[in-house]
Amino acid sequence: MLLLILSSAFALDRRSVFLPGETSNGHVLFEVSCSSCHEGFKPVSNETCNRCHEAELAKDVHGAKKFRDPRWAELRENIDVLSCTACHEEHTHMFGRGVHLKPDLCMACHQGIIKGELASHNGFSPNGCWTAGCHNFHDHRSISTGFLRQNLDQPWMLPEPELPNIVVKTKLDTAPKPDLGKEFIGGKS
Amino acid sequence: MMRRKKDSVTVMVLCLLFLFSWVFPGTSFASNISESQLQEIQQQWQSSIHALNEVNCSSCHIDEKSKAFRAKPTEVSCKSCHEYSTDTFLLGKHGIRTLEGLSPLSPTMAHLPMKKSALDKQMNCNSCHNVHTVNTYQASVDSCLSCHNDTHSLNYKNSPHAQIVADIGVLPRPDSKSVTCATCHLPREVSGDGVLVNHNNTYTLKPRDRMVKEVCMNCHGLEHAYNSIFDDELVEANFAHPPSLELPTFKLVRDLEKKRSSQQTQ
Repeated sequence: MLLLILSSAFALDRRSVFLPGETSNGHVLFEVSCSSCHEGFKPVSNETCNRCHEAELAKDVHGAKKFRDPRWAELRENIDVLSCTACHEEHTHMFGRGVHLKPDLCMACHQGIIKGELASHNGFSPNGCWTAGCHNFHDHRSISTGFLRQNLDQPWMLPEPELPNIVVKTKLDTAPKPDLGKEFIGGKS
Repeated sequence: MMRRKKDSVTVMVLCLLFLFSWVFPGTSFASNISESQLQEIQQQWQSSIHALNEVNCSSCHIDEKSKAFRAKPTEVSCKSCHEYSTDTFLLGKHGIRTLEGLSPLSPTMAHLPMKKSALDKQMNCNSCHNVHTVNTYQASVDSCLSCHNDTHSLNYKNSPHAQIVADIGVLPRPDSKSVTCATCHLPREVSGDGVLVNHNNTYTLKPRDRMVKEVCMNCHGLEHAYNSIFDDELVEANFAHPPSLELPTFKLVRDLEKKRSSQQTQ
């Protein structure tokens, strides 16, 4: 029995041996649960990522909605922009952020912007689009030229600083009697 | 002789290891509480929102299907009413191990500095919430600081945000002016007529720009928010002073505005 427990513990621990490299900060906590992301030896699918990251991608400006448009078909040849794993690699450390990502990925399509197409951005570093806090590939809800223009010159405190308040409703005026008691005493589980 | 001694040491070590692994997961063991502890819990419950909403002991401590008694209910019980809170909790770093069928997160696994006194804790709803009083004041700061021991967390108490909370005083739950750890990292979201709490602690953490719109801009203007949250030192100091950073992105946008308005007037 003891042997069995020890050998299975050994087997479980050994699962980390199969990890090919450093797992990203976000995923490291469950890196020994291979099946969370991998189905056998198939490549990791978008569905797998969406199990957890649906909320982050709810308004994905570089998502399927945009790239199904044939106008952008040519750009999809530069990078398979609709596969999460085309940009986000795992088990290989690249950059000091929560996700493994090459910082100059935007250049696969937007290299012209720093090479004369946009005067204000001429000569900018290819690594700086998102690392400088200016652009977010997926989500323009809180960072984009439009959003910044709209909210420019606000005072440091908004006129009505307020957070949502939780209003609690109750069904009864007085509390009923507790319906359990002795069960908690004396170590019954 | 030596050999036999060595063998007996090995057996002893193995037995100890077995005992250790038996004692420390400690998840499904009996509560073993005393009569006076039970009375205290019942008193807490009796003045709680749970009691006034007909959520009695059995609602959580009796398994719905098997009708068996559970001394220590898990997030599964909470989920039957608090679905959004539980589902989002399971998607963040606090809950992801539980979602993926591993042992719950413990501070020993953390990459951030954690308090030594908290190393044997395991993450569950009641690691942060007192499930019998159901007040969320404790869960909004004190619970976080019972584990988190990094500079940003420790500096909260000296921050202007904490000063607001201290001036308001203790409440059953933080009000609309209170800025706690949870205000920014487990934010309230308006949903229909109600307010839900997003317990995915990773969602409003990184990228930092997501925090700006979701959290900071409930109170602060855009530029103040951006110049604060992209200043690593100021983040460490838990926003103890106004930002000195001036992100070049605002100059770019201002220049763009000027260009557009001059084009319009031509």
